[in-house]
Amino acid sequence: MKKYIVLCSVVTLLFGCDKEFVEVNTDPYAVSEIDPALLFAGSQRTHLGNWTAEHTIVQQFVNPYNQGATLGFNFNEDIDGVNTPKWNDSYPGSIRNLTQAQQLVSDDAAYTNLLSMIRIWKAQVFMGLVDAYGDVPYFEAGKAVSDGIFYPKYDAGSVIFDDLYRELKEAIGALNPSGDYVSSDLFYGNNSENPSGSAAVQVEKWRKLGNSLLLRLGMRYTKLDPAKAQSIVSEAFAGGVMTSNDDNAYVKYDGTLFTYDDNSNLRNFSHFNYAAEPFVDQLKSTNDPRGKYILGTFEDPAAVANDPNPDTVLANQFGVPIGVTNTALAAEGGPYRGARVGGLNYSQMNIYSVASPAAPAFWVTYAQTSLLLAEAAHRGWIDGSAQAFYEDGIRADMAVYARYPQTAPIPGATVDVYLAHPGIAFDSANALELINTQYWIVNIRNGTEAFANFRRSGYPVLTPNTYNNNLQGGFARRLAYPDEEASANAENYAAAAAAMGGDNLTSRVFWDVP
Amino acid sequence: MRDKRKLNLVVYFFLLPMLFMITIVNPYVVLGQERTIRGQVIDSENAPMSGVTIRIKGTDNATSTDESGRYNIAASAGAVLVFSLLGHETQEIVVGDDTTIDVRLQASSRDMEEVLVTALGVKRESRKLGYAATAVNTDEMTANRTTNMMESLVGKVSGLNITPPAGGAGSSMQIRLRGQAAFAGANNSPLIIVNGLPMDQGARGANGAGQLGQRDRGDNLQNINPDDIESMTVLKGATAAAIYGARAANGAIIITTKSGQSGQGIGVEFTSTYTAQQPLNFMDEIIQTEYGQGTGGARPRTQGEAQSTGQFGFGERLDGAPTINFDGIERPYSANPDRLFDFLRTGAVYTNTIALSGGSEKGSFRTSFSNTNAAGIQPSNDYKKRIFNVGVNHAITDKLQLQLNVNYADEDNFNPPQIGTQGEGAVNFFTRMANSTPLEAFRESAIDPDTGTEFRNSGFSGTIVNPFFQLQKKQFFKDKRNRLLGTATLRYEITDWLFAQGRFNYDRGTAFSEWNVLNGTGSSTPYEGDTGMYRGNYNLRQDATNDINADFLLGGSKEFGKFSIDASVGGNTWRTQFQRMDQTSSLFVVPDLYSIANGTLRTQSYGFSRSRVNSLYGWAEFGYDELLYINFSGRQDWFSVLNPDMNHKFYPAVSGSFIFSELMSTSGWLNYGKLRGSWAKVGSSNGVNPYDGVLTYAINQNQFNGQTLATVAGDFAPNLFLQPFTVTEQEVGLEMRMFNNRLLVDIAAFNKITTDQILEVTLSNASGYDNSKQNKASLKNTGFESLLEVTPIETSNFRWTSSWNNTYLDTEVLDVGNESGSLLLIYFNGTGNEFLGELRYTEGLPMNQLYTRTYLRNDAGDIVVSDEGRLRASTGGPVGNGFFPVGSSIPKFTGGWTNALSYKNLSVGIHFDYKFGGTVLSATQLNMLRQGLSKQSLEGRREGENGLIFPGVYENGSPNTSVVGDLQSFYADYRNLQIGDPFVYKSDYIKLRNVSLSYNLTDVVKKANMLHFVKGLTVTASARNVAILYKDIPGLDPEAIQSSGDFRAGYENSSLPTTRNYNFSLNVKF
Repeated sequence: MKKYIVLCSVVTLLFGCDKEFVEVNTDPYAVSEIDPALLFAGSQRTHLGNWTAEHTIVQQFVNPYNQGATLGFNFNEDIDGVNTPKWNDSYPGSIRNLTQAQQLVSDDAAYTNLLSMIRIWKAQVFMGLVDAYGDVPYFEAGKAVSDGIFYPKYDAGSVIFDDLYRELKEAIGALNPSGDYVSSDLFYGNNSENPSGSAAVQVEKWRKLGNSLLLRLGMRYTKLDPAKAQSIVSEAFAGGVMTSNDDNAYVKYDGTLFTYDDNSNLRNFSHFNYAAEPFVDQLKSTNDPRGKYILGTFEDPAAVANDPNPDTVLANQFGVPIGVTNTALAAEGGPYRGARVGGLNYSQMNIYSVASPAAPAFWVTYAQTSLLLAEAAHRGWIDGSAQAFYEDGIRADMAVYARYPQTAPIPGATVDVYLAHPGIAFDSANALELINTQYWIVNIRNGTEAFANFRRSGYPVLTPNTYNNNLQGGFARRLAYPDEEASANAENYAAAAAAMGGDNLTSRVFWDVP
Repeated sequence: MRDKRKLNLVVYFFLLPMLFMITIVNPYVVLGQERTIRGQVIDSENAPMSGVTIRIKGTDNATSTDESGRYNIAASAGAVLVFSLLGHETQEIVVGDDTTIDVRLQASSRDMEEVLVTALGVKRESRKLGYAATAVNTDEMTANRTTNMMESLVGKVSGLNITPPAGGAGSSMQIRLRGQAAFAGANNSPLIIVNGLPMDQGARGANGAGQLGQRDRGDNLQNINPDDIESMTVLKGATAAAIYGARAANGAIIITTKSGQSGQGIGVEFTSTYTAQQPLNFMDEIIQTEYGQGTGGARPRTQGEAQSTGQFGFGERLDGAPTINFDGIERPYSANPDRLFDFLRTGAVYTNTIALSGGSEKGSFRTSFSNTNAAGIQPSNDYKKRIFNVGVNHAITDKLQLQLNVNYADEDNFNPPQIGTQGEGAVNFFTRMANSTPLEAFRESAIDPDTGTEFRNSGFSGTIVNPFFQLQKKQFFKDKRNRLLGTATLRYEITDWLFAQGRFNYDRGTAFSEWNVLNGTGSSTPYEGDTGMYRGNYNLRQDATNDINADFLLGGSKEFGKFSIDASVGGNTWRTQFQRMDQTSSLFVVPDLYSIANGTLRTQSYGFSRSRVNSLYGWAEFGYDELLYINFSGRQDWFSVLNPDMNHKFYPAVSGSFIFSELMSTSGWLNYGKLRGSWAKVGSSNGVNPYDGVLTYAINQNQFNGQTLATVAGDFAPNLFLQPFTVTEQEVGLEMRMFNNRLLVDIAAFNKITTDQILEVTLSNASGYDNSKQNKASLKNTGFESLLEVTPIETSNFRWTSSWNNTYLDTEVLDVGNESGSLLLIYFNGTGNEFLGELRYTEGLPMNQLYTRTYLRNDAGDIVVSDEGRLRASTGGPVGNGFFPVGSSIPKFTGGWTNALSYKNLSVGIHFDYKFGGTVLSATQLNMLRQGLSKQSLEGRREGENGLIFPGVYENGSPNTSVVGDLQSFYADYRNLQIGDPFVYKSDYIKLRNVSLSYNLTDVVKKANMLHFVKGLTVTASARNVAILYKDIPGLDPEAIQSSGDFRAGYENSSLPTTRNYNFSLNVKF
């Protein structure tokens, strides 16, 4: 027996049993420490949502194929593939990295400004989630690693907005001109198109961005609580919002190494994707100078990339009518324009300009801001001329087009002609429709904003899609939660769905009161 | 020709060392003066036995006994006499000084006194085992040869469930012992131990999705040549495996390869096998041949229409009239239901093995070289392997024994088929294209002559890819692997009752994979975006694994009168290291040139992981009078992958056997009777990977606008608090041999409970992460195994043995660790382009429960349709999302019936096997229905039908009278709403699996003087998958549905047809 004991001790010494195990279980090649600013920059690139979701509700763009995988809002169907991308781009995309970055910098004075930027940008991401889905996980979201919360609870949209307001205010307030300069900031850092060069310039831009988001947040309360809306909007305006295109928060894509994925999909699946009739008609009827960069008629709609010279003459563009199937559209001798080569005889998005994979992604712009201010001024919530804000907004958006590939700057005279067009010229009696119709056009690449503002303002005037009776003659009021979330987070999902009146397209987000 | 030369080179390369080895082993037989040896052979009842063959080992001198059992033969001292008679134990006796040798031959009774190789390579008498251990009949394995040797064990051993997925020439097997011990994510296949070297089955590409995952790239068992196997023992339960610790929570399969026998002359053995594989076509059961391509009841009129509707069979009634195809050429509008099978080819496998063995008093050796050349049934799928094996036993001194085994395998796997999911892959393509386009259209117009891209042939470009495009533009996937398994064992007999043993195992594997995705796949443009660069991609991957296992064992046995003790202690360290280098290249400068240098966008990555498990263990066995044995064992493991504060686990086990036949008279009907029982607890960190508890970051390889970007690495949330999980197993068994060993009954019942499993859980991704691992959930596998073997006829010339093994397996999920009682493993629609079902673990239900949405039904059970007569999907239900359980993928009954008949030198084997009680969801059938390609889709457009009135009721309960004219949209609703009812089948089957015919020509050859140097000659012919006698799922072989992993269990999509194999082999011994 003694022999065995001796042997065991020898073995224990020899193997150490678990000696060196910590070292063994450390990956010598992994990045285990990171500059949090790089995580922040990584999350600025993430785009939110997808062409085929909110755009198709607000009838800018449409997929008329009712053949399975591509089915969506054109047929008032609640399709997971359409609902999901925005959620998946946000939570496991930007929110994961922002949360981790926030944890790394919190309580570290060297990162004051970075922390504020993280908080501001996170607020914008969450605002988009509430706008799109309604009640969503907020206080417990993104905390699988930091707090071990694997199945976060949902919070009421109104509660989230209150907290976003607080976050934005605190973050803006904490910006410090003599604090840290975040050179990797994709919007205003060293490698952006408008480098700040110093913390003082950068925090000023972030202050404007933060206040512009605050303005956006305030405007969301228009229907629900006008007094609250006015209070937040005037507070934001007083705090200083974006004042020119130089303030735009956007990400450029050089089209070689990185492409805007969504646009690539648009092109690769061109067969399914067409411009919608109401949107095309709006551009055509007002001879919109932006039209030729947005729309195009391609030789083979199923292979747009084969045609380097699409017809972009505005008069030749035709949008697909809403709620009609491809079979009906293509039918010979039918009431529609029929088929052309491998697709339908209708216009598509101009894949060489606005929908180019090299197109920049504009998240928050001066044009949006100015149009919101126009409405606020029209309502008397802030000082200033509604018309001036309206026209500034349009001019700013026209100017932005120069940033898209294969475009030429739109001359001032052309813009003037446009501004004088009877359908565009400012008219106080019709101000809300004019302003918000422009907001719709400005957000051709930001479906979340176009959809939110449509629900908030009721403009542009669109005809509900009556393809079937799924929406009882109304519009989709939100996106449904992803099916996978419904399965994985079943209990919290069920509670949230019940609180919203069911997880369906007709439930309304908190600020969208009838 | 070139290949042949290469082969010769290899043979010489290996033969030379063999010859060298012969010279180092001492001379074998010291031949003395020849004398005449006489004697008598009697049986156990002392009756003389006639017809017993007596052969001098290593020579062709032989004689046989006469009617009184007497014989005489000339032999010299030191020669070995071999006494053999069919149905009896063969005996070998060394000729000494005596000239009279009398022998008693026992009727063979298999494992009655059988010695089995059990845990740690310890040979133990079967009678002492308190648990189920089954020796595999290796002869049957070589007679019914398969490319992956495990496939030949389907239905052969109770408790062992082998599922061969139809994955091409070099594919893996799903191997499960006594059910599935843990949920998906853990390695649920048994531990494989080759000459003491433990290794995982290591199935690759078993779970579907992606270029790699979609291709079944084999497993580690195909590195073993069945001809090299001396013995194979299946240790079914946790008790048997307790001593292997964590890795053997799923049981163990112990393989010992040959290393020659001492006292044997030089022998050369050559085996040559040819197998032809014919794809089995069941598609006529489901393919519709009445309507052709088109939508809305119209055929395509323009090339554009032909292209966009290529996937739809909602056109006109087929009439043979010239109709435009996607390439603009008119071809007859007729059905082409067998395109897939015209595309596939007859597979062919050639295997040649040459082995050289020899032995002296001091030692023995055996070395072999085997070459396999397989052409899979899918064109361009080729699989080659070469296996070199050496085994050496050498007594360094009387007390010190050295054993050395080396197995080197070299495999080339080209273009394993893409299966199991939607996406690229010939099966998906041909089952998804409207039947009116003939195969030659796809072959002749695979490439668009204008762009060099895939000729657009459907509206599903990219989702389904023309395989001729891949063949003609030479898409490739090459997988080259080398693996060296080496074991050296030193055993020292300290005294006659005490020994010490040390062993070192080295397992090194390298894999080199290379594959491309073609420019122009599913696209009409060869350029990527506005870059002016050509599309496609090229990928390189290099893996290297290093596994070291070192152990020692100190053991002794002693008898004290009627009592005996057998005890050992030992320790083990297992060290693994894994490295991976990945390189990809895309955005090519020169089109269609796939190389790293040609790409302008390159990515590289390097992965590294290592882990260590240290263990100490011991056991003690107490015996009384060969009547009763009790065995205690214990093992403690320490795991590097776990949190240092909770990284170890102790596993106890106890087992016992009671040989009650010892208490009875030997002359009764009972020859042998044993009752056994055991209890064991095994733990496992299986499922925790190195660094699973550590959060890391990823820096984007390429800068974005000159800016470096980073993200949290991966979507996995690390969990620091993982612990090893536990498997507790109880087993009782009864083994009886009766009526002169003519009847064998062996039954076992087991109950295996797994607790605190380490689960990969799907998180709400609102948590920021998609998944993590948690200790939660428990499950139960309960089963009953039986083996019944009878020998109805046994004469000196004829013997018929029939054996039936059966396993009844009942699985139940006990706890999933969440309040809802149901855990989602996979939502197929969430994996992209799959439209059917979920796989869940639900408390109270069997494991691997498939769920799907169903038709909406009212309280009366009627199907409720919409006001327009369209389908509606179920809502609510047990998990709230409208999905209902439809059955488990795991069969409840598995088994086989084997008949072995031998008449003189002719042996015939007939094997049936079956599986019952499993469920399968068929996505192929869903896709064929919604695309108008299956017979199901004819409803509503058959002769006289003008639309469909679905048998159902309106919301208000009145019968549906709405006629749906747009059948395409109607059937698409199955996909849109994910209604699964028509696609749920049983995976049950009964198959006539094998028929084999083997003839031993040795006697014939002996008669020809010129061939006297031939010691043995056997020819074998066999057929595999002869017939499916019963199945439920139409259109497919129910075995063609599963990947070898657990993640997509019970989900069928685009699986390669199974094959019927014809096998011819020749075995010559010199």
